[in-house]
Amino acid sequence: MDEEPERAKRWEGGYERTWEVLKEDESGSLKATVEEILFQSKRRRVIESHEQVRLGMMRHLYVVIDCSRSMDDQDLKPNRLTSSLKLLEAFVGEYFDQNPISQVGIITTKNKRAEKLTDLSGNPKKHIDALKKAVDSVCAGEPSLYNSLNLAVQSLKHMPGHTSREILIILSSLTTCDPANIYELIKTLKSLKVRVSVIGLSAEVRVCTVLTRETGGLYHVILDESHFKELLMMHVKPPPFDLETPSTTPFLETQICLSLGGYFCPQCHAKYTELPVECKVCGLTLVSAPHLARSFHHLFPLQAFTENSVEEHQGDRFCQACQGELKDKTIFTCTSCQSVFCMECDLFIHDSLHCCPCCIHSQIGP
Amino acid sequence: MKLNIEGLLVYFPYDYIYPEQYSYMLELKRTLDAKGHGVLEMPSGTGKTISLLSLIVAYQRAFPLEVTKLIYCSRTVPEIEKVVEELRKLMEFYSKQTRESNNFLALALSSRRNLCIHPEVSSLRFGKEVDGKCHSLTASYIRAQHHSNPSFPVCQFYEEFDAVGRQVPLPAGIYNLDDLKDFGRRKGWCPYYLARYSILHANIVVYSYHYLLDPKIADLVSKELAKKSVVVFDEAHNIDNVCIDSMSVNITRRTLDHCQNNVDTLHNTIHKIKETDAAKLKEEYRRLVEGLKEANVARETDVYLSNPVLPDEILQEAVPGTIRTAEHFVGFLRRFLEYLKSRLRVQHVIQESAPQFLKDIYDKVCIDRKPLRFCAERLQSLLRTLEITDIADFSAATLISNFATLVSTYSQGFTIIIEPFEDRTPTIANPVLHFSCMDPSIAIKPVFQRFQSVIITSGTLSPLDIYPRILDFHPVTMASFTMTLARTCLCPLIVGRGNDQVALSSKFETREDFAVIRNYGNLLMEMSAIVPDGIVAFFTSYVYMENIVASWYEQGILENIQRNKLIFIETQDAAETSMALEKYQEACENGRGAILLSVARGKVSEGIDFVHHFGRAVIMFGVPYVYTQSRILKARLEYLRDQFQIRENDFLTFDAMRHAAQCVGRAIRGKTDYGLMIFADKRYARADKRGKLPRWIQEHITDGSLNLTVDEAVQLSKHFLRQMAQPFRQEDQLGLSLLTLEQLESEEMLQKIAQVAHQT
Repeated sequence: MDEEPERAKRWEGGYERTWEVLKEDESGSLKATVEEILFQSKRRRVIESHEQVRLGMMRHLYVVIDCSRSMDDQDLKPNRLTSSLKLLEAFVGEYFDQNPISQVGIITTKNKRAEKLTDLSGNPKKHIDALKKAVDSVCAGEPSLYNSLNLAVQSLKHMPGHTSREILIILSSLTTCDPANIYELIKTLKSLKVRVSVIGLSAEVRVCTVLTRETGGLYHVILDESHFKELLMMHVKPPPFDLETPSTTPFLETQICLSLGGYFCPQCHAKYTELPVECKVCGLTLVSAPHLARSFHHLFPLQAFTENSVEEHQGDRFCQACQGELKDKTIFTCTSCQSVFCMECDLFIHDSLHCCPCCIHSQIGP
Repeated sequence: MKLNIEGLLVYFPYDYIYPEQYSYMLELKRTLDAKGHGVLEMPSGTGKTISLLSLIVAYQRAFPLEVTKLIYCSRTVPEIEKVVEELRKLMEFYSKQTRESNNFLALALSSRRNLCIHPEVSSLRFGKEVDGKCHSLTASYIRAQHHSNPSFPVCQFYEEFDAVGRQVPLPAGIYNLDDLKDFGRRKGWCPYYLARYSILHANIVVYSYHYLLDPKIADLVSKELAKKSVVVFDEAHNIDNVCIDSMSVNITRRTLDHCQNNVDTLHNTIHKIKETDAAKLKEEYRRLVEGLKEANVARETDVYLSNPVLPDEILQEAVPGTIRTAEHFVGFLRRFLEYLKSRLRVQHVIQESAPQFLKDIYDKVCIDRKPLRFCAERLQSLLRTLEITDIADFSAATLISNFATLVSTYSQGFTIIIEPFEDRTPTIANPVLHFSCMDPSIAIKPVFQRFQSVIITSGTLSPLDIYPRILDFHPVTMASFTMTLARTCLCPLIVGRGNDQVALSSKFETREDFAVIRNYGNLLMEMSAIVPDGIVAFFTSYVYMENIVASWYEQGILENIQRNKLIFIETQDAAETSMALEKYQEACENGRGAILLSVARGKVSEGIDFVHHFGRAVIMFGVPYVYTQSRILKARLEYLRDQFQIRENDFLTFDAMRHAAQCVGRAIRGKTDYGLMIFADKRYARADKRGKLPRWIQEHITDGSLNLTVDEAVQLSKHFLRQMAQPFRQEDQLGLSLLTLEQLESEEMLQKIAQVAHQT
């Protein structure tokens, strides 16, 4: 099937009784159940993405990559390291697409040490280049959770309080070599409001469970490569914004700057070649207008559409967006303009557009 | 929630219930209705304790005349505490629901060491010391002396209790050991004696097995417990061994030397007393002539639990004349002692039956059977008369006299084995006389006879039918329940071959085989790389473990394992082991990961739970057969074959498999827990072995996981661990393995439960 090209090979997986799920309808056809299954999988995606809360829009994220011996394992093809780096490249691209005014840094850990691969910055190219180079590095020794977290915290703690501080760990090893008690560090992380998430490549490790639970992050373990990708992409979306944090600086004192081979800070006229950046001279956060606009939707997310069955719907059975006929059993209605959409369009509106086309239309129109 | 179990209203203190708990209560109710005994197996972590307590308490409330008391026997102090806590939860639920204070009294009882609040006595470390010291402060003649001479030390807590404590019953409530101590401190009463006194009118008593099964203790503590009680033995998979141990006697040279000293002390004391207070000895003599009538009357009126050490016949007779006077008795003991000493001076192993022994002793030193029988009782009487303060010192003499009574009372079910040296060290002379009980039913018989219902329950009792046979009773219910699971959280794998196709087995012929040892090492190494946090590995014996670990060290396997996880080893030293355990848990906790190498039948395999990350995998290297060359075991097997028609091999396999099940069962302690169970021996794949595992493990062994290589096992484990790491919420369990009241009462679910019950 085209839909799941990266699924593990059939013979690698467990023994499944796939036929037991299928049931014939009265005419002896399987079509109904197959469609039902496909529909269910789409529905799940819809529901998952619809947890609407206010999300933070400025993020500072450190990605920690485990480069220990266990990354040589070949259960992801060609090996865990190459596969993870490739997925991370895609992740970085997607991340900056969705969070343009956020920053990322990369840390690797091996031989009981942690090293910074790239510093926190908003330039995707730099990170992607570094990731490409890292493919050739040798995997050796044990990772150190403590050292990597410590390294990340050293820079994260200087970030302003109104932004989110996050660490994402890609952990393949089941052991960690720490110089001190990690539970003390977890307390520090908690007090600094650093959110740590972990994606495990092999199994559930206790210390990660505690780490993520305490700091409010997510902990997942991959099943196979496609699941890995899914989990990674989950972190593209900003985490829920903590409303209780009193923002120390007034929210985003942003100014657009002149562009002529660079950007000038409107306050002190220092010149910068890339955005977004915090002005080294006067400390103002500098972003460009399109960045702001794209980040804006996280702050005021589109309300989830209400779900009804087709039978209840009065009026034309056409999707307002694609103008196609409503074939599925359920339809989605926008809460403000009462327009009706099919599921495909609902997904598209919430995942990419972030605004209801009919609402916009009525605003602009006569 | 409130449940309706065949017309009985049961209060259950949780909002959700497992289906198997419901069936368990159903079976339990039927057992109580029939006033019979039951054998029930249910996996650990499925709420056995609370099901038992809820149902029996409900039964007590509904039929207060049918069941007056619940006696709950558990193994260790932490387990006892756990039971009391569950009970407290249940009672709180009761009072919240019924809005009336119930006058339920439940309490835990433990040894003096755990209950003493006397500042000096409680600071002593060993149980024996505490008992001895306590006795020296509370014995009746000490107190009498104190009466005449107030400077004589007594225990003020006991005095206080004796003065007022007996009149005022303990207020209703739930008391664990600490509660009792607090109460004692507040009132200034001795908590130990208070508890011992209060169990007579308590509704629920929680204590250790030994208070019922060990004849010496049972006689003191439990003999007055009401007949209409329900007795529960929890974690009872080893109950036959407890019974046997409580009746067996081992005599070494040291025991005899101690006993010699005891006898000398007795002799001197008698001499002294004779000069000062001859009347006392005369009074005792008179009493002995009248015989043990008192005890006899009590037994006939069925007031007491009978004591297997005090056989019926001797109650009807007076103490024979040959040992009636104190000097004669001491002389008698001396003779007996000399005889035993001469028996220990042997060069080769001797095995004989009790009648043979009696004949020999008659021929050699002219000791008759009859006085021997009275030996234990006579010594007790003498110790009382002589007002010996420190009873603990006389343990050797008590042991010898108990032996004398037992050997002359039971002609069957016991054997005497005299070994001049240990098998492992044939050059060092260390003679031991084993007087070994082979029939566990002797010790437990009084319990079955006296109490209305006896429930034997544990997580691993399979095969169920063997317990009634070896304990010689007729149960009205026998049932085994499985775990209903929303996800298969246990993964038993039988690894029969190495990657090089060498068969893995711990059997005697291949024990020293290099290839097997290497493959075992390989298995552990591979597992250490893929299993997170803690792994517990069990070997069949300490010797085997030492050999293997030494060999792994030479081959460099240990070094490789240590790159993944730290290694800890259980030793025979208790302090070392608990230290290792502590560090092991620390390593699991902080992410370093650890392996604990331990021994089946050891301390770790019996008492310690490895919840969640403390045991993600258990590896059982080999089949834990008991050491078959031991003469005691051989004698027991022979006895089982002759008396109960149980074949040697059947019993050995049963015994090995119950220990294997105990070991691997350590990893799963509940439905949210998960763990791998790896049986590394190809013999596990055979039907006769596999069939003896508990049902809840057996049903997860598929044909595909019967004879795996190390590599295959690693693949399956990896898959399993990833599956288990996926988020698992309570909602996933609801309706399947966790039920609300409405779900439980639905027709469909009741049918399903009934269906499962029928399979057993």
